[in-house]
Amino acid sequence: MRRLSAICLALLVFLALAGPGRLGLLDGPRAPSYSKPYWLDRSVAGTLVLNASGGGDPHEAALNWSYAPPLRVALTGRLDDGFVRWSTPAKAFILADAPGELDLDARDIPFKRAMGISPFGNMAAALFPSRGDYKLELVGSGAVSMKIEGGRWGLLGTDHRGRDAAALFVRGIRVSLLVGVTATLIATLLGVSLGLISGYAGGVTDSLIMRFADVLLSIPTLPILMVMAGAWGKGLWNLVIILSAFSWMGTARAVRAMTLSLRDALWVEGLRAIGARRNYIIFRHLVPEALPLLLANVALGVPGAILAEAGLSFLGLSDPRVPSWGRALHEAHTYGAFTNGAWWTILPAGLGISAICLIFMDIGRKLEERVDPRLAAAAKGSVRMEAEE
Amino acid sequence: MSVLLRRVCGSAVVLAVVLVLNFFLFRIMPGDPLTGIVDPRFSPEAKRQLAAQWGLDRPLSEQFAVYVREMLSFRFGLSMMTGVPVWDELKNRVPNTVALLLPALALSSALGLWLGTHAALRRGSMAERLTLLAGAVSFSFPSFFVQLLLLMCFAYLWPLFPLRGTTSIPPPEGVSALFDYIWHLALPVLSLTVLGFGGFALYIRNMMVKALGEDYVLMARARGLPRRRVVWNHAFRGILPPVLTILLLSLPGVVSGAVITETVFSLNGVGRFLLEATNSHDYPSAGAAFFLLALLTVACNLGADLMYVLVDPRVRREAPRG
Repeated sequence: MRRLSAICLALLVFLALAGPGRLGLLDGPRAPSYSKPYWLDRSVAGTLVLNASGGGDPHEAALNWSYAPPLRVALTGRLDDGFVRWSTPAKAFILADAPGELDLDARDIPFKRAMGISPFGNMAAALFPSRGDYKLELVGSGAVSMKIEGGRWGLLGTDHRGRDAAALFVRGIRVSLLVGVTATLIATLLGVSLGLISGYAGGVTDSLIMRFADVLLSIPTLPILMVMAGAWGKGLWNLVIILSAFSWMGTARAVRAMTLSLRDALWVEGLRAIGARRNYIIFRHLVPEALPLLLANVALGVPGAILAEAGLSFLGLSDPRVPSWGRALHEAHTYGAFTNGAWWTILPAGLGISAICLIFMDIGRKLEERVDPRLAAAAKGSVRMEAEE
Repeated sequence: MSVLLRRVCGSAVVLAVVLVLNFFLFRIMPGDPLTGIVDPRFSPEAKRQLAAQWGLDRPLSEQFAVYVREMLSFRFGLSMMTGVPVWDELKNRVPNTVALLLPALALSSALGLWLGTHAALRRGSMAERLTLLAGAVSFSFPSFFVQLLLLMCFAYLWPLFPLRGTTSIPPPEGVSALFDYIWHLALPVLSLTVLGFGGFALYIRNMMVKALGEDYVLMARARGLPRRRVVWNHAFRGILPPVLTILLLSLPGVVSGAVITETVFSLNGVGRFLLEATNSHDYPSAGAAFFLLALLTVACNLGADLMYVLVDPRVRREAPRG
């Protein structure tokens, strides 16, 4: 299990570092909104482009079609002379015969009328009447391409803006890892310093810091994060700072308790007796003592930060230019992914968040058990109460 | 009872901190509070007039005094968006949030208690596996994701529950209005329960397992007491204070969950009001909603504290010394 989560984490880090570009996934609108994943529904056409270019002889691109009519058909390019012909199994259309730049869409009314289709008719259906062999021919010279957009696209389909959901998913890993790890690291740093100060100094400082932690612990976190994100802008680093400012309390309490118990331990007493300075004791003895526990603490704290970030993004309080998993769910919820049945915009992002949290919790628990082997024994269940039937 | 007095003072301190934080959050942000809602093409005179209307041209100390008075008298000032007193908009929403949170809290703690105890009594059984699974779910699955899935399954694909809202439109009359309300709140409450009971069950199980290994439980068993009495009157009585502590510490999280739940299910509650106010830079409204949510948390905290005093005799006995 430990190896599995380590492998998963390595994979996620690799994906985050490589990014969607390196993996051949493209950002930006690509296909009709809420296209299905490519492997999902074989009765729907994918998105494809037919090209025909050259001069003199007729040039053609052939296509064997066996689906329902596509959602959109567009013809772009340049025609120097001659004409563009589209042959269907039933009849042939002359799509363009005037020289010049071409930018035709099957939804344009003049284009429909030129093809003899009523302005309210579905031209894509007329161009793709049945299954069979189709041909795009360029008789003359120029370069034209025909884009046929079906309801199927990519590994994970598209979102409401026609962006590749797989590319957005890979993008989202980066945000989750970055925010989760940095926010937890900063929070741990804060917690350790405040806990050490509190535990070692004692007195008024101690009670001030601890009362402050108590107060922060009893304020609902998400509302205050919302207010701060709303007031200070929606940047990623703002989010990291806000998150870490509100999650150091647990660590501070734990570190303080440990410092208190160590401060009066015999060996620290001994150090003090041989004239060790306070800073020396803290940094050479207390901090290393606490370090393994802190490592586990960091790993166990990451899920909280990731969940908080995802929650804020889900509420729409994240930077709209930075795609993240929470943001993907926000957009799915806001722009009617339900009514389009587009579960592929919801499941990957949600499962991604859960998976990353589970991975960090597993690693944290393993680290904890390594620090304190008694925990492993307790987890296996050494205490038992038999059923007394 | 000086313990009680101390708890009440602690709650008052929390509220005071919330008040101060609330005031300064909106004053130390970049720009002035008006930049968010005012078109930059407004003339300086118009801006000055608006600032005068919201009292933003007064000295900070005077603003603070007015603010504290407005907050403590529950008037909360006027909304920057609608110009209506914020309390008029909020007062219809408070019952919805309470009606969402209280049943969810009660259900999830009851379920968690039952399941956790069973898991501790029969280690390795279905109950224990279910506890571990539910615990993992509640610690690692984002609440809105689970709620979106539930909404998709039980409101869209299989329309048992309504997709959104607190009441049907138009709202029904008489007794059916109550049923309509319950019908609309059922899925949100259920989802919060499903998300909440796992962590609670896990805590109960861990503490129960430890308590069942203690000497006083062994003693109770040796006395030949029936199992039910051993478990509930001895072991459970022993872990009740830490259980209450856990419950107390989870309250801010529960209130946070209300914001997300109300957003997912489009419920007309304080949390969604806070979100809308935040998004439209309506600072008096956002501040008021935040204050109310904090007040709700502090009130629940205080309630749990009082229960703590009741169940843990040591706290009462320590009182004269502390």
